[in-house]
Amino acid sequence: MATLDLCNISKSFGAAQVLHDISLAIEDKEFVVFVGPSGCGKSTLLRIIAGLEEATEGQIVIGGEDVSAAHPVDRGISMVFQSYALYPHLSVFENIAFPLRVQKMPMPELTERVQKAADILQLTDKLQLKPGQLSGGQRQRVAIGRSIVRNPKVFLFDEPLSNLDAALRGDMRVELSQLHSDLDATMVYVTHDQVEAMTMADRIVVLNAGKVEQFGTPLELYHHPKTKFVASFIGQPNMNLIPATVQGTDGNGVTVEMEGGTRLTLPVDTTGVAKGDSVEVGIRPENVTLGGAALDVAVNVVERLGGLSITYGKLAGGTRFCASLPGNAAVAQGGAITLGVDPADCHVFDARGDVLRRTAAPELVS
Amino acid sequence: MSEKTFGLLLIAPAMLFIAVIVAWPLAETIRLSFMEAGLGGEEYVGLANYQDLLESRKFNDTIWRTFYWMFLSVTLKLILGLIGATLLNAAVPGRALFRVLVMPPWVIPIAIGCIGWLWLYNGYFGVLSGTMMSLGITDGPFEFLAHKRSAFYSAIVTDVWVGVPMVTLFFLAAMQGVNRDLYEAAWVDGAGRWYRFRRITIPQIMPVIVSMALLSAIWTFNSFEIIWILTEGGPRSATTTLIVDTYKTAIGNYKFGEGSARAVIIVVLLGLFSLLYLFFLGKVNKYYGAK
Repeated sequence: MATLDLCNISKSFGAAQVLHDISLAIEDKEFVVFVGPSGCGKSTLLRIIAGLEEATEGQIVIGGEDVSAAHPVDRGISMVFQSYALYPHLSVFENIAFPLRVQKMPMPELTERVQKAADILQLTDKLQLKPGQLSGGQRQRVAIGRSIVRNPKVFLFDEPLSNLDAALRGDMRVELSQLHSDLDATMVYVTHDQVEAMTMADRIVVLNAGKVEQFGTPLELYHHPKTKFVASFIGQPNMNLIPATVQGTDGNGVTVEMEGGTRLTLPVDTTGVAKGDSVEVGIRPENVTLGGAALDVAVNVVERLGGLSITYGKLAGGTRFCASLPGNAAVAQGGAITLGVDPADCHVFDARGDVLRRTAAPELVS
Repeated sequence: MSEKTFGLLLIAPAMLFIAVIVAWPLAETIRLSFMEAGLGGEEYVGLANYQDLLESRKFNDTIWRTFYWMFLSVTLKLILGLIGATLLNAAVPGRALFRVLVMPPWVIPIAIGCIGWLWLYNGYFGVLSGTMMSLGITDGPFEFLAHKRSAFYSAIVTDVWVGVPMVTLFFLAAMQGVNRDLYEAAWVDGAGRWYRFRRITIPQIMPVIVSMALLSAIWTFNSFEIIWILTEGGPRSATTTLIVDTYKTAIGNYKFGEGSARAVIIVVLLGLFSLLYLFFLGKVNKYYGAK
């Protein structure tokens, strides 16, 4: 296994620049997830690492060796595609063996490697079947098997779970995390699903419009988002963003007046903000409590999930607000509720969308 | 009106059409094949027409010539079609233009194309003969369609010229339907161009290759206009295939009974081809994982 360093990677298709000067240092045996909305450049970045696309500028360094100009097979990577890319006319055995056949590996060693991969992926009794005879999850495992047999330095996954249904996706997330720990491999995984990113990653790269918004552990991104984009992308349901005006700053933080007139003093670094500035206060739906006195919400829709009641409504000024309340919360469509919030749980973003560093944020769990 | 009657009414025009255009002529052909029929009238002769054919060495030669013609022409069409489709599928600049340029042999009327080839094969005015003379390959004009062997192969070249574009376009369409990820996955695994072609492209388009091989065989077997315009089956029957022989016998010599017997044999052979086609297509689809 190996480290993976991306050094100042840029990529343009004609006049359109899709990646802007991306530099990342991925450690050995790390599981890193590239996440971002459609068109943010995450798949392009993965394809550049794989050698399927050429970077306009920058270097790819795998295990300390510059592989920017190397053929994909010489980079020591293997890739699992979104469509699985299984050969429909070949059996599961031959699909897994494909890279080894290309290498003209002797049959005994080839069989041993395929069998080993099949054992790991519980495909031993499926080796003679064709991909068309397998379920979605089994096909996914065959695609992973084809990656494993090559013993690559780095595994690349391009949205491998997006074709599966929700239940199977949950199962496969666990299987992939288990596989990572079994293989002790460096893995780079692309997804647009922030739940996959949060649950599987050692570290997450949030990409937006071809730029890295933030690179950190899932809880870093959750508790200390650097930008409004990261704050609203990470977390489910999305963070609420409420327009506010700075009333003053002191040693305790910044005092803001939010839409609807509520005043709060929030414990954040006040560098760069002054009285009268427009800011946005970020409050996660799960950080509010029913019965406080900070926010008046007119309830539009209540989704009862059993353990939780996801409540959608509007603040007095018309801003949409979502609250994640207990399953038995006394809320009803068309009603009005008041919500409380701990100032320490609030995030403040300046007019550019950059965060004011929180000074009373919770300790991160390692 | 009951649902059944309404259904029958709906298919009645099509049934009538098939009865008039296909069923009745077929039945009439089978009936005539048991007759000695000409301009003077008809007389029942039983299986005599078939017996004569099976005992005739000339007819035997015609059958073998037809199969040889079909085998050679279809093989060339498939090989050239595969090469053409591969080139047209490659990411080369201007491929859209080449895709259009491949069409004319198929699009222009066969008669017009064949007249062009008549000029090409002409010994005195044709560019082929002229080029051969200027290169010193021949001493004088060479009339391609005047010699048995050269006439046969010249007719095949023209038949291939007419048939290749369609085969190419079918293969190209099949190649474009192959999931691009398969090639990228193979490329990441280190598979070269030839390896990818052999282990991905060919198996993935195999159902289309089988379809085109068998359909092309049927069409080539039935190919009439090209031979008739170029050589009328000559010289000395060198290009007379079953279909040309049937025409010459029935229409040229007014031997409707004998011609019909030949036509029935053609129907039986093409029926067998059709069954083979369905059989192989089912097998190939099953083996290569097509839905």
